[in-house]
Amino acid sequence: MNTTVLIAEDEPLMRERLLEMLATAWPEARIVKVAENGNDAWDGFLEHEPQVVFLDIRMPGLSGLEVAERIGKSAHVVFVTAYDQYAVDAFDSGAVDYLLKPVQAERLDKALTRLRQRLAAPPADMGDLLRHPRSALPGRAPERLKWIKASAGKQIRLIDVQDVLFFQSDTKYTRVVLADSEALVKIALKDLLGGLDGERFWQIHRGTVVNVTAVAAVERIDAERMEVIVRGSTERLPVSRTFTHLFRD
Amino acid sequence: MWSNIWSKFSGLYRALEEEQCQVLADPGYLESIKPGYRRRMAARLAAMPPLERARLLAFCVKYRGRPLWIKLMQIVMVSSLCALLAYGLFPQLGLITLLVVANVIGAGLVVFMLLVYFSHSMMFGKPVHLVIFMMMCASVGGIAGAAGGAAEKGFTFLQAMEQKWAVIIAATFAAGLLIAIPVTLMGAIRNRQYKKFNATLELEAERHRAAHELSESRLRLLHAQIEPHFLFNTLGAVQQLAEKGAPDAARLTASLIAFLRASLAEMRSEHVTLGADFALLEAYLQVMKARLGARLDYTLDLPQDLFQVTIPSMMLLTLVENAIKHGIEPSLQGGRIEVAAVAGAARLQLTVRDSGPGLGSAHGSPPGSGHGLANVRARLNLLYGDAATLTVDDGEECGVVAVLALPLNRETT
Repeated sequence: MNTTVLIAEDEPLMRERLLEMLATAWPEARIVKVAENGNDAWDGFLEHEPQVVFLDIRMPGLSGLEVAERIGKSAHVVFVTAYDQYAVDAFDSGAVDYLLKPVQAERLDKALTRLRQRLAAPPADMGDLLRHPRSALPGRAPERLKWIKASAGKQIRLIDVQDVLFFQSDTKYTRVVLADSEALVKIALKDLLGGLDGERFWQIHRGTVVNVTAVAAVERIDAERMEVIVRGSTERLPVSRTFTHLFRD
Repeated sequence: MWSNIWSKFSGLYRALEEEQCQVLADPGYLESIKPGYRRRMAARLAAMPPLERARLLAFCVKYRGRPLWIKLMQIVMVSSLCALLAYGLFPQLGLITLLVVANVIGAGLVVFMLLVYFSHSMMFGKPVHLVIFMMMCASVGGIAGAAGGAAEKGFTFLQAMEQKWAVIIAATFAAGLLIAIPVTLMGAIRNRQYKKFNATLELEAERHRAAHELSESRLRLLHAQIEPHFLFNTLGAVQQLAEKGAPDAARLTASLIAFLRASLAEMRSEHVTLGADFALLEAYLQVMKARLGARLDYTLDLPQDLFQVTIPSMMLLTLVENAIKHGIEPSLQGGRIEVAAVAGAARLQLTVRDSGPGLGSAHGSPPGSGHGLANVRARLNLLYGDAATLTVDDGEECGVVAVLALPLNRETT
């Protein structure tokens, strides 16, 4: 089976370049997703669960480092960056390699050699990446959403984020479910994620983010599957394999 | 034995003098002096303002060894001569009294003159204190003189005080005035000199600050050119286009060359014409457009009649760079940058507007507080005072609007 690869790069020409070079240097790789920003990269990762991700560090939305942190140990990460300021730290924290832009063919070959050697082994855990104090991107304290604006007919409803039981993705919209009502907002769940407090709102599925304080119980369906039961809602929310570790000891 | 003591004493004196000169030349030398009275003396010297310290050093070096003794002898002789003259006029005061008083006045006058000359900024802050202090010194001298005179004539000190208190007070007062008047005059002259000198210094400091801010601007522009994300992403884009054989490669290279050329030209001058500045912005935005593709849109609006108007160099580019960095790059959909120049009768208004996430955004430090903007503001302030302003606000619907308002200058430089 071919190795599945995700690429995240915000500049079109650099994206094109990396794709072409990979096609030449590693024809047997299967590119499953080409993301244009950090949010797409994370969403694409959840959708396709690639084995390898190439992440630009400076991107709109989630930064490459933030995406790698979320990926944790679920894929091999190669950073691509114009400047090695953060990459060196990232490399220390378990990335397979980092490539300096513009990527040159010989350097890519070297990285791919390293990568192929590592593929057989489980990926290193990048989950602590941003806890490494030097790795944090300067001046990017994430701004938390306090209110969600949902239009209902002619009215605009203001929803306190804390009151939300869970968010569910509905293509380009997001379903916002509260104890007594629900609303549809015109913003993709992947773009909403960055504004939510990760301590309180857990992503349990590519399309679901749940308010932990509203979780009544988690039920094991079989060895792989789990479902979250939310207080104040009759819906049962499936937990995808990537996230079952959240509920294990 | 006496010569032994003398050589020991003079050795000590010379060492002390040497040490103090060292401290005057370099206050850091203070650290190498052992704690004690010598260190305390040196600490006072080290605390003097640099300029006064340099003057004192020059004085100390000039009056070192023989010249000092010659000067001291001269002072004693002049004072004694005055005492002899006074004795001729008022023999009843006694020769020794007059000699003592005259020498005390002479020495006091010299000491005070020197003090005022070298540290008037410390002393002259409180002229009344100075005069009182001098009167007190004169009183002590006067009483000492009276005691001496009494002893000479075989009276006790108290008897002398009883008989001559009016004379002593008058003499003391006169002696105090004798010192206070020239010293105060000297202080006033020195203070005026000092104020004038200070004004020159301030003017110079202002010039220095302007030069500093200008070189800061230059450094920032230089940095922007070789900033790794700009440089390597741009070169990567050129390389990619070139490898494909795309005609865009030549166009992007041309824009990059135009940007580098124009920014080097701007770096060399403090002012540029709006025409040249907009050409620089155009080249920069073309480079960014080639890299960001559909994520960047821009318009540049410069009326024909403003092409020759001059503005301070490198400022608009700073604002446009900010708009890219905080408005376009962090935005998922990208956005739009609008740069426009509008002129009234005497004012010029330059606006840079972006459609980004606005000032409250999570990305980067707030644009209103950046080093780039602080530098622009500082330069505006130095060049125009209150006549020029830079305001950075949230746009009506989205993004950030930076408005640079300054006096219109139609003369070309």
